[in-house]
Amino acid sequence: MPSELLEIPLAAVVCWVNFVTIDLFFGLPREGGVSGATAIAQEVEAGGGDLKGGTMMGNIVSSPDASAGTLLASCGVAVAGVPGGLFAALLVYIGNRICYDPGYAGTTGAVTATFIVYAFTLAGFSATSFIVGMVVAILTIQGLSHRHASRLLGRLWKWRT
Amino acid sequence: MNELVMAVFGAMLLIGAIGTVRSHDPFDKLISLGVLVAGVMPFLADRGYLDVLAATALIAPLSTIFILMAMRREGHGP
Amino acid sequence: MIELLLCAGIAGYAALRVVLERNTMRKLPFLNVVSFAVAGAIVLIVPHPLAVLAAAAYFVGSTLESNAIASTWAGGGKKDE
Repeated sequence: MPSELLEIPLAAVVCWVNFVTIDLFFGLPREGGVSGATAIAQEVEAGGGDLKGGTMMGNIVSSPDASAGTLLASCGVAVAGVPGGLFAALLVYIGNRICYDPGYAGTTGAVTATFIVYAFTLAGFSATSFIVGMVVAILTIQGLSHRHASRLLGRLWKWRT
Repeated sequence: MNELVMAVFGAMLLIGAIGTVRSHDPFDKLISLGVLVAGVMPFLADRGYLDVLAATALIAPLSTIFILMAMRREGHGP
Repeated sequence: MIELLLCAGIAGYAALRVVLERNTMRKLPFLNVVSFAVAGAIVLIVPHPLAVLAAAAYFVGSTLESNAIASTWAGGGKKDE
């Protein structure tokens, strides 16, 4: 199925841009939200990475941020359309409150992802490819090479400030 | 769920179990146990036990937190 | 079907990286990838509104676990020094 093989990389790029933009906008690389995020950042820096990028990775690990919002919102849109996506945004907000986080980044990411994914489904995409796209996008940040990913995020953060 | 997907998640269970047994640091053991719990979830979802899945997903982190509280009291720092 | 296969493949790869990584704190981002992939796989296996609730419960629980492990590790290190 060539259309699916083309859809998933495009969906991955859209999800990547969405969650990295919102995380940078809410300033996740500025400081560790909890002491665990700071510890992860220091270990990533000790392995040859960038401290600011490592802080953003630590914040992604230790509380549901815009990446989790994008994943759950695309799940919700795949199952129940726009109301499902907004329900997922509510779940992300509750999850953020459990993890002692203000929850602005996660909720905003979920709401924007709901409308982006819905617009793409109107254009003929299937919403399930956005679920896989988000999994691929988080793999490129957290799963391939911490050194290169943190340097890339640090460079984007320096460019934003 | 076809056989290949089932085999991958079964391999995840084995990886988590072997990692839990073979690692020495208590924190490494807890993280490998997280992989083991993650491997169970798709099998529960495949049979349609979504309530069991949600209960397991809440019980596992709570038990981890209690173990961490006990570890902190014993003074098992790295 | 290719979506589910890709999710399972990424989950297996990240699980292998968790066990093979030597540094305790650098295991946690790989564990995060595992929980993303499994939460996606739950919804792909059962396309039902309750599955979104279950996936969110699993994801938040796993995040809370990582948070607690990282915080205890950081606090324990400081106390010993």
